[in-house]
Amino acid sequence: MALVLHSGSGNKNAFKALIAAEYTGVKVELVKNFEMGVSNKTPEFLKMNPLGKIPVLETPDGAVFESNAIARYVARLKDNNSLCGSSLIEYGHIEQWIDFSATEVDANIARWLYPRLGFGGPHVPVLEEFAITSLKRSLGALNTHLAANTYLVGHSVTLADIVMTCNLYLGFVRILTKSFTSEFPHVERYLWTMAQKERVNAMIEDQEPFEGEELLDAKCFK
Amino acid sequence: MALVLHSGSGNKNAFKALIAAEYTGVKVELTKNFEMGVSNKTPEFLKMNPLGKIPVLETPDGAVFESNAIARYVARLKDNNSLCGSSLIEYAHIEQWIDFSATEVDANIGRWLYPRLGFVPHVPVHEEHAIASLKRSLGALNTHLASNTYLVGHSVTLADIVMTCNLYFGFVRILTKSFTSEFPHVERYLWTMVNQPNFKKVIGEVKQAESVPPVQKKAAAPKEPKAKEVKKEAPKEAPKPKVEAPEEEEAPKPKPKNALDLLPPSKMILDEWKRLYSNTKTNFREIAIKGFWDMYDPEGYSLWFCNYKYNDENTVSFVTMNKVGGFLQRMDLCRKYAFGKMLVIGSTPPFKVKGLWLFRGQDIPKFVMDEVYDMELYEWTKAQKERVNAMIEDQEPFEGEELLDAKCFK
Repeated sequence: MALVLHSGSGNKNAFKALIAAEYTGVKVELVKNFEMGVSNKTPEFLKMNPLGKIPVLETPDGAVFESNAIARYVARLKDNNSLCGSSLIEYGHIEQWIDFSATEVDANIARWLYPRLGFGGPHVPVLEEFAITSLKRSLGALNTHLAANTYLVGHSVTLADIVMTCNLYLGFVRILTKSFTSEFPHVERYLWTMAQKERVNAMIEDQEPFEGEELLDAKCFK
Repeated sequence: MALVLHSGSGNKNAFKALIAAEYTGVKVELTKNFEMGVSNKTPEFLKMNPLGKIPVLETPDGAVFESNAIARYVARLKDNNSLCGSSLIEYAHIEQWIDFSATEVDANIGRWLYPRLGFVPHVPVHEEHAIASLKRSLGALNTHLASNTYLVGHSVTLADIVMTCNLYFGFVRILTKSFTSEFPHVERYLWTMVNQPNFKKVIGEVKQAESVPPVQKKAAAPKEPKAKEVKKEAPKEAPKPKVEAPEEEEAPKPKPKNALDLLPPSKMILDEWKRLYSNTKTNFREIAIKGFWDMYDPEGYSLWFCNYKYNDENTVSFVTMNKVGGFLQRMDLCRKYAFGKMLVIGSTPPFKVKGLWLFRGQDIPKFVMDEVYDMELYEWTKAQKERVNAMIEDQEPFEGEELLDAKCFK
């Protein structure tokens, strides 16, 4: 029986849990017929998350909100998997990069993007400059780290890569142009490796659910 | 031997690790003679945290930054302690409230306070927005705490340590009694926590702010020094080898039927991949997927995503599946040069059809485009470095330049 993730489709915060589930073999499905602004305001939903935000994961033991917490929970549903690191210091580093991706990457991208989309506060040019400067500083630090590392921690994908990739991806598709990101070539290379490769893998192995949706049929041409 | 925590004193982010250490009996000491703006800009420090921010914990196995990550690490240095919860769901709820305290409490307090301290320009309408967000978040927290003494379970966990440090900071710097009286359970919670012995030992006396700090008349110059200029890496582009058809010296060799046979030989043998794919029954990811990337030759082959353009036609599942089946039959003419996966997705109509194709060469073979009519029913996107954007089919193709000019709309 699959765990139900309450979110619309195409939500990068939902992707974190869906991708983690792919690695751990846990079945997580997007709830059907989710309507943003309606489904997350019902009394039933607010019992799960009094803040009314998505995503929210329904489990047999209770609901969990906050996308990174959901991803961590899903990752730990399977013991001894590579997502969580193999030592205490690796665990510390995974948590470090998860938090960095939230406070340094996601927060700054949001401060730049959302005012331009008309939410998250009014658009104020001087604040936007500040957000861009902060983001460049953060991506610079990330670029330095990725110059000598293929993955954020260790030598394979961990939860830190899943969370970082989802946060970076939002920036890349919505507001970070090539001319902006070319200053951070290792970050560009990292995103390609993580995002594209993972999609290729998911299609080769008939990932189920596929990006949160039911897989009806998979044909192979060979 | 104590672990060293690099931070000034009185830093609420450092408190998190110090309080966790009190609970777990781990020795964590603040570094001596820390000078903000100096000690955290040295090359040695930047090796530990390239961002130059504090706190940073030095351990025998390496440095850790991000205050919540440090607190988690310290909490786990001792097995089976009550800070980390006693079940998977308790663990998840602890993580949930830690993240909530960061994104909903700390972030909003920061957006209200820092402009008034002059670190960021002060914009009144933005401040209103931050205050409204904070009220919403504290309201949700208040609801939870109405029926819970602690955030998770029945004793202090890491969630309480992190939340308390973030709340305490707000309480002493900007949240007056008249503001917090709207959230009585949050008030009760905060005072209970800061009076716990392990908290009091680290934080000391807590006195709630009596007024909101005034806006600085002159915005202080931003504290962070100019961002270090990122060294521009010279793009390394190996010149593409000129493709020259090898001279055929043996007469009996039949003329190549296909332009793809004239490509320079590739280390990837398609049949080997197909065999690996078909024969791997267990541990698919570790064996087949890993094997794929080991053999994949991006010079000799290319990967493509396809997306059916007319998904709204796909109202009957078996008809949709048959359509895909027909497409694959018509692809038979390129079997030697291609591998593909086609997926039909969705629990209710209209069903989506998406696919992945591996083709010999850098382009979709011309003879395939010419002879298989299904090809033009799909949008084809090459999976390559410069086209990361295009892989996400739910997003409109995004022209970065346009958005930068876009006006605000609601």
